[in-house]
Amino acid sequence: MKIHRAIPIAVLSIAGLVPLWRFEAQPAATTEVAAEVGVVPEAQTQTTSEPPASSTPNDSGYGAAAPTTTTTAPAATAKTVNGKLVKTVHGDVQVQVTFTGGKITAVKFLKQPNTGPTKSAAPVLIQETLQAGTAKVDSVSGATQTSEAYIESLQAAIDAKGN
Amino acid sequence: MLAKVRRVEHIMGFPISVDLRDGDAASHAAVDQAFEWLREVDARFSPFRVDSEVSRLGRAELGPDELSPDLAHVIDLCDFYEESTGGAFTPRLPGRGFDPCAIVKGWAVQGAAELLHDAGARRFCVNAGGDVVTFGESEPGVPWRVGVRHPERADQLCVVLSLRDGAVATSASYERGDHIIDGRTGQPARGLLSITVVAKDLTTADAAATAAYAMGVEGIGWAAAQPGCEVFAVDSERRVFRSPGLPLAG
Repeated sequence: MKIHRAIPIAVLSIAGLVPLWRFEAQPAATTEVAAEVGVVPEAQTQTTSEPPASSTPNDSGYGAAAPTTTTTAPAATAKTVNGKLVKTVHGDVQVQVTFTGGKITAVKFLKQPNTGPTKSAAPVLIQETLQAGTAKVDSVSGATQTSEAYIESLQAAIDAKGN
Repeated sequence: MLAKVRRVEHIMGFPISVDLRDGDAASHAAVDQAFEWLREVDARFSPFRVDSEVSRLGRAELGPDELSPDLAHVIDLCDFYEESTGGAFTPRLPGRGFDPCAIVKGWAVQGAAELLHDAGARRFCVNAGGDVVTFGESEPGVPWRVGVRHPERADQLCVVLSLRDGAVATSASYERGDHIIDGRTGQPARGLLSITVVAKDLTTADAAATAAYAMGVEGIGWAAAQPGCEVFAVDSERRVFRSPGLPLAG
């Protein structure tokens, strides 16, 4: 069951790795590699890709992905999951994640382009319990309200109260 | 020093609040300009107005060389997020006209905030129907405190963020129902109760939050990997995932 809880984190981590190649300038051939990046769940990590969106978008080439394959290591508590093969304009990217005792203990690139941030790690997310409460705030972020719903909202109370 | 300004207007179908804590006559006058800009955006970019630029584009009445620079920029942003999300986010759903609303909102409100800043305002917060832009601090030495609405309890918060010169946007279905469609399936997006993105500007935060919501659970990791973005997400099993750099208020 521990493994099951960990799988969403693995999926997220794999998804997070792929964009790291998307802003690289130079196309490159793909090679088989085994670059350990040493991700652990509590690690503070950073991506190194270029600033996004509000400037001119870069070209990228998402292609079809191969089916995910799973292999189980001999030790009962260790499990290795291979991510989907993702095609980018700079080459193929595929990662392998190892779980031990329900935690991610290693992330390995099975395939990656020759150029690119080989030492970059996925953004590792912290999992928490959903909280509910009240606090003094200046503003409230939420899904886009209708003007009708606004009347009964926290933000309306803040606006009405003033400074 | 003039009095503080707090004003709410309803434009584009949602409430927009300006909370200006400093400034002179010029920056106070800019509040009018900011609301005027938002009304102009509504007139030009609403797919619900038959004479808007967006509606004309949808009817193929505008050629590629007839697009205004603003509309061309909005289309570039739409294309970037459509490609980056593998088509989960799209302004071109089958059976509907071109609808860039999800991108226009954040971009327009960021523009309004920059109008205020250019006019000299240094401490203010704009909340546009739940998307927030902050400049400076709420008081000298005190960052803005922005609560995130609990996805299932309208009168509760699930986290409080601390911001200086930053933006926060949240996507969820609790206000307008299943209005965000996963372009890959044509069905309403599933998997998340809400996702909140913090970024330097609201153009990025709002687009990333909407696009991530369309992607579902995989959108959490996608958004966290966007440069300069921090994420707070609640999945349909009420689990919270947040990025380590999320600016939590103490």
